[in-house]
Amino acid sequence: MSNSILKIENLQAKIGDKQILKGLNLELEPGKVHAIMGPNGAGKSTLSKALVGHYDVELTGGDIIYKGKNINEMEPEERALEGIFLSFQHPVEIPGVNNAYFLRTALNAKRKHEGKEALNAAEFLRLMRDHLEMLGMKSDMISRSLNEGFSGGEKKRNEILQMLILEPEVIILDEIDSGLDIDALRAVSEGINKMKDGKRSFLVITHYSRILDYIEPDYIHVLKDGKVIKTAGPELVAQLEEHGYDAIEEE
Amino acid sequence: MNLLALKNKNLQEVNALLGTKDRDILVERFCALGLPSKKSEEYRYFDVEKLLEPEYKTLNYVPKTPKTSDKVEIVDGVVVAIPKGMRVYNEACQMIDMDHFDPLYYLGHLLSPQTIKIELDGDVEVEIEHKFTQSDALINYRIVLYNQANRHATVYENFISDDIENTLVLYGYDMHLAQDSTLRVVKMQSMQDAGYGMVASHKVNVAKNANAILKSFDLGGDQALQLLKVELAEHAHVDDGHLLYLNEDSKRGTVSQIVHVGEHSTSKQEAKNILDGKSRGIFDALIRVEHSAKYTKAEQNSKAILLHEDAYMAAKPQLEIYIDELEASHGATTGQLDRKQLFYLQSRGISYTEARKMLVIAFANTLIEEVKDTRHQERIKTAFEKVFYKNHKD
Ligand SMILES: Nc1ncnc2c1ncn2[C@@H]1O[C@H](COP(=O)(O)OP(=O)(O)OP(=O)(O)O)[C@@H](O)[C@H]1O
Ligand SMILES: [Mg+2]
Repeated sequence: MSNSILKIENLQAKIGDKQILKGLNLELEPGKVHAIMGPNGAGKSTLSKALVGHYDVELTGGDIIYKGKNINEMEPEERALEGIFLSFQHPVEIPGVNNAYFLRTALNAKRKHEGKEALNAAEFLRLMRDHLEMLGMKSDMISRSLNEGFSGGEKKRNEILQMLILEPEVIILDEIDSGLDIDALRAVSEGINKMKDGKRSFLVITHYSRILDYIEPDYIHVLKDGKVIKTAGPELVAQLEEHGYDAIEEE
Repeated sequence: MNLLALKNKNLQEVNALLGTKDRDILVERFCALGLPSKKSEEYRYFDVEKLLEPEYKTLNYVPKTPKTSDKVEIVDGVVVAIPKGMRVYNEACQMIDMDHFDPLYYLGHLLSPQTIKIELDGDVEVEIEHKFTQSDALINYRIVLYNQANRHATVYENFISDDIENTLVLYGYDMHLAQDSTLRVVKMQSMQDAGYGMVASHKVNVAKNANAILKSFDLGGDQALQLLKVELAEHAHVDDGHLLYLNEDSKRGTVSQIVHVGEHSTSKQEAKNILDGKSRGIFDALIRVEHSAKYTKAEQNSKAILLHEDAYMAAKPQLEIYIDELEASHGATTGQLDRKQLFYLQSRGISYTEARKMLVIAFANTLIEEVKDTRHQERIKTAFEKVFYKNHKD
């Protein structure tokens, strides 16, 4: 797999004094959907935070190579501008920051980075309208404060809306499906599928096979105790559901 | 003129130094309170001596026939322009508070025997622009403001200065809100090496059933203090809000005393302070509920965000209560920007500076949104961005 878009080599990371990632290896291929499954506390969210440069996570070894370049030290906003996106497991509420204004600021930062012209408020709203409809989001959700008072499902839809607008190249979804009702799950999956273009790659962290029925992963990785201990095709899901993680032997 | 010469002087000496006569009761009040210094209660957080120390030239305040303009323009203490049909007079102040806590309130009145009296007609909206053009000067003037019963007027106050230095402005208003009226005063003062320091000493009388809405937006650097006394009659209400965004070694803020005199009077006071650099924000606010003021409601709150470890917030909300029949609350908090929120914005490609700016505006927004007029809201935001970017470059 030399054509990987993101390559994680022997990654070691701490949160506080605790070693969480213990030599993790993973490669994301362009155009592919990678699912990560694993027990609670295995380090899945820590991995996703490490990839976007979260302040909680201190890298103590290994490399994150994005498009051939080591990004271990890259600033979070720079990673975003370069095309890495994380949908947070628990998106934060920001009272007083208007959702639409936030989204437009983010989009225009990206456009500026790419040498494109900024969109004005009207152009932006036009761009957003279709996405909102597809995601089943009420239009008042974009005129409200960012995530403030949003239900769990609304927050997740809002994360997907950001993904659709920012059009990133590596998309990390940390439990995007947790707490979603069936309609929301379908809408969110549709949003994800819409982003598949044969080039983008996806890293989908989940505990359930439900979402995988919709978005059809190419690979399943099992993350346990800070390492990827197994990689297989989608058939692994059924096996995991039946026997649990304890039955998996490190390869 | 050297203001420090007024220190520890008696009535005769002050009269001789200021050339005042027939105003002994004011001089007595001034002498009793004493020229402010570091040791004065109300000036303890503000370096007032630095402003009083220099030798200032004094100005002549010769009234002019004002031109017609879309706003009231006051240049170096003289009204030079007013909107068509507005009533502005030069006359002696009829009602001076004899129990104000600020000595400079009295000094201001002593130095300015003629005040600028503005009568607000009906439901007007007026803009008052203060402009300062003189260096090394003591600019002193006072405004007396009246509105009409049952009417709802709005005043927007702004401050600008030429390329001046070392000037001190002693200014303030005596405001008289008529019964059942509303007066909204929105003050915006953006200073950044503005060349003047200011002490503004105000008195607001709120008559029965009247509603005073006082909002100040103090942005940037330099040294300025506003001292505010509000007196509430029966069923009167004051909604007092202060936004501070300071940088560099600025010291600015509000020292206030809200006095509940009438029954069922209510007050709400909210300060939001964002402090950068080595600045110091001041919110030294006393609410006093007198024996006569049963069934009062008083609410007081200060929140500060420090953007720099050298910044400091002096927040002192205080209640002084002489009765039991009331509802009162007060509190003050100081903190930093929320790291999680900051990271969320950055993780979407928004720069650190821009993300901080968004969060600071979000914090300030509840106060900015209370300025109902969107044009003035925008003006405040623009002024804010200007001073913010001066200190934050990507
Ligand atoms: N801020 C933190 N401070 C201390 N410990 C933390 C912190 N964040 C995570 N941890 C610990 O790191 C370990 C890995 O957490 P992580 O969130 O990566 O697990 P996860 O695989 O995403 O689990 P889940 O499936 O429950 O979401 C856990 O033991 C957790 O308690
Ligand atoms: Mg997790």
